[in-house]
Amino acid sequence: MKILVADDSRVMRQIVIRTLRQAGYDDHDIVEAEDGRDAYDKVQAENPDLVLSDWNMPNMTGLECLQALRSSGSAVPFGFVTSEGSADMREKAADAGALFLIAKPFTEETFRENLDGVIA
Amino acid sequence: MTLAPARAGRQVITALIDEVTVESIATEAWIALVGEDEVLVPLAGDLPAETLSAWVDVVGPWTGSVVLTTGRQTAADLTRALLREAAPELLDHEDVVDAFGEIANVVGGNVKASLPGPSTLGLPQVGAAPAVRNPEDVCRLGVLWRGQPLVVSVQGALPPLPSPHTPNENPHQNGASL
Repeated sequence: MKILVADDSRVMRQIVIRTLRQAGYDDHDIVEAEDGRDAYDKVQAENPDLVLSDWNMPNMTGLECLQALRSSGSAVPFGFVTSEGSADMREKAADAGALFLIAKPFTEETFRENLDGVIA
Repeated sequence: MTLAPARAGRQVITALIDEVTVESIATEAWIALVGEDEVLVPLAGDLPAETLSAWVDVVGPWTGSVVLTTGRQTAADLTRALLREAAPELLDHEDVVDAFGEIANVVGGNVKASLPGPSTLGLPQVGAAPAVRNPEDVCRLGVLWRGQPLVVSVQGALPPLPSPHTPNENPHQNGASL
């Protein structure tokens, strides 16, 4: 399985990847993207099985990336990992077609709760 | 009436959040990002001469910045703690900007979530702290991490509210956000 991790912070991408491994999802290919535009391009090029994306990024936000993907016909499973987890943002995420929104700071348990059933 | 800040439809931060909430947010961020055993001791210490700040701006019914300030060496130590085994022998300034900025982003995002909305969060910035505009619109928490002082300041970006007899220059009587 291939997972695309999109975050403009390299440190946060490492933390997300580390947490995936700690949560037991350690046997997957990881692709990194450094903003929403890069994530959009890499979904087209790499065809991942899941996207884990930050919300607040330069060039293209995570939400704009998701909306662009859905507009282009992509149904790739998409979840947010973001420092903002307000009810308003959760609603916007769900309306745009996101499967879940994990708020930072997160733990490996949070990852398991949201990813079980999504990651084989 | 004691609700002077509400007269202009805008509340100062101390009416919206307290130090205990900020401490709880910072502690949770530290445990998740820095490490499970990394505690923040709620004791204010004197910051060294050479400091670095990381902050995010919040724009909404309350507008301001969530600013983390600590010594430059402590910021570098925090970066190593976040990067763990991926930390290079010699840290680049870019690494510190990225890691310290991301801590501010997580703390700021959670502070924003506890404030009245809707509001937006800016991208993290790192450098010299933005100036305090209104000393009454500041919630300041001093902590120690590994014995080193760190300050979390939730501070308003707007100048002090006009006095009751000053012509009101704010066209948004209800504090409407743009």
